[in-house]
Amino acid sequence: MSTTLERPALDTPRKVTPSKDSRTLLRSQVRTGWALLTPALLHSGIFIVIPVVAVLVLSLTDYSFGDTWSWVGFGNYSDLFRDVDFLASLWHTVLYAIVVIPISMAISLAVAIGLNQKIRGIGFFRTAFYIPTVTATVAIATIWLWIYNPGSGLANGFLSLFGFAPNRWLADPATALPSLMVVGIWQGLGTKIIIYLAALQGVSRDLLESADLDGANRWQRFRNVTWPALGPVQFFVLITSIVGTFQVFDLVYVMTRGGPGSETRVLVLDIYQNAFQDLKLGYASAETVIMMIVIALFIGVGRFLQKADAND
Amino acid sequence: MTSATLPAVGSAKPSTKPSAVRPGRIVLYVVLIVGAILMITPFVWMVLTAFKSDLEIMKFSWLPGELRWRNFSEAMQTAPFLRYFRNSLFIAVGETAFTLAVCTTAGYALAKMPLRGGKMLLNYFILLLLVPFQIILVPLFLIVKSIPLFGGNNILGQGGIGWLNSWWGLIIPLGAAPLFTFLARQFYVSLPDELAQAARVDGLGEFGIFWRIMTPLIKPALITICVFQIEAAWNGFLWPLMITTSDTMRPLQLGLAIFSQNPAEIQWPYLMAGTALATLPMIVLFVFAQKRFVEGMANVGIKG
Repeated sequence: MSTTLERPALDTPRKVTPSKDSRTLLRSQVRTGWALLTPALLHSGIFIVIPVVAVLVLSLTDYSFGDTWSWVGFGNYSDLFRDVDFLASLWHTVLYAIVVIPISMAISLAVAIGLNQKIRGIGFFRTAFYIPTVTATVAIATIWLWIYNPGSGLANGFLSLFGFAPNRWLADPATALPSLMVVGIWQGLGTKIIIYLAALQGVSRDLLESADLDGANRWQRFRNVTWPALGPVQFFVLITSIVGTFQVFDLVYVMTRGGPGSETRVLVLDIYQNAFQDLKLGYASAETVIMMIVIALFIGVGRFLQKADAND
Repeated sequence: MTSATLPAVGSAKPSTKPSAVRPGRIVLYVVLIVGAILMITPFVWMVLTAFKSDLEIMKFSWLPGELRWRNFSEAMQTAPFLRYFRNSLFIAVGETAFTLAVCTTAGYALAKMPLRGGKMLLNYFILLLLVPFQIILVPLFLIVKSIPLFGGNNILGQGGIGWLNSWWGLIIPLGAAPLFTFLARQFYVSLPDELAQAARVDGLGEFGIFWRIMTPLIKPALITICVFQIEAAWNGFLWPLMITTSDTMRPLQLGLAIFSQNPAEIQWPYLMAGTALATLPMIVLFVFAQKRFVEGMANVGIKG
């Protein structure tokens, strides 16, 4: 580090005159800068960078908390593709993402467009849509567990008003995963609405007005002015949604524990159980690596779709 | 790049058309109100259930026959909710203090200090922003278990439990998220350099400039970081589930989850009373800090 002190920094926009005073100043700034940055660098190194590297290394071993372990090459990976629990988890997670992401993005955008009109009670609506987002997922899951209660829950109670027969929701293999998806969509709206709303307010009013003068109708204005302007934000919402849906855990853990059977088993639940109940850390790490790859694939497809849309 | 100048989301804006009552308007309100009702109903249902008796919940009904306030005190006795509550508070406060200390200093260094490779360092933090916690679950557990000289570990981090089942483990690893370093940096960058120059002329040291001149000026960012970090810490579940083994350190969400684990024997009124108590602080925080939540989220989304 001492070699860096003598030279003017490359990135500083400040002009450095070669007087003695400014050299001393620069030195003290560089020293303070590194001192201020070090805690964050150490923290992120120990608790993020090392774990990311470690998960790759662990995935090639049969480590299980014990003193002895050995390299198994890609053995964990080939085992995983014969593991029915893993395959079911992967499938359910992908299905969850494919259903939840587009629906919640579409609803959020629609609500945001509605809220972007000049309406009364914006504060109330904003609060209403955002409260599920600030509430702990465990609490949300607990409430919905009670809503889905087959005997006296709200869901059956409400539907019975319209003459529907009671459903077993989470206990029925056919409706268990869709029931979870509903909660996932419901809880995730708030964040997306807020982001879309901020983006909509950044859409050029001049452009919209000139389109209006040119005789463009509502839909044409949306399609040709608003939609392209939302591009980058759409991509951000898409990526955070992908990462978010692949992480689904609290909901499943509290509401179904992956059941009935393994109808709602998802990746993080499977990873959690392999690692901390069966103590197969190497195996669970390989599973994590596959999850990373699938997330990357999803983001890649998202990027492709966005580019295709932008080139339209 | 400054995020401080973004107008408040949802603030009134000049309308280009007179707002006469049109059919489209009415449809819009109806749709929005139905949506809002769908969002709020589960919480209303939670509160209503919290006041019911065991008998009342055998059959579906909306309103409780009487308001059984004692459900709340009885729920507090069936599980150590008070302790869970205190634990969550402790974790939230500790994690927020830690995050503020680490992220403001780093954010300031990235924004204002002439460091070689400063641009690369910034990219490093932005890249880390994308690493989801679930990815590093397993190794993070091992690292926390092997913190040297804690929990009976030797200097090499062997032999004991390290930070497992400790406040350190609950607070430190998940604090100071790169997101907040980035957020703080965005706010410091927008402050004029002349301020620092003037302070320097007055003989203030570099750390003094950071602490006494610049940091008080980014109060909005500090509040945003506090609000988000408190929320994240209060609502955390998976990490405490992994590293706590005793009831003495379990936070509220874990307590709730354990309470609801036995579907056959759940006492719904008590569970809903506990859930109401667990969600209330965050809803109150949200109502008070609504603008911060909304702007913070929007800024991260648009500038991130």
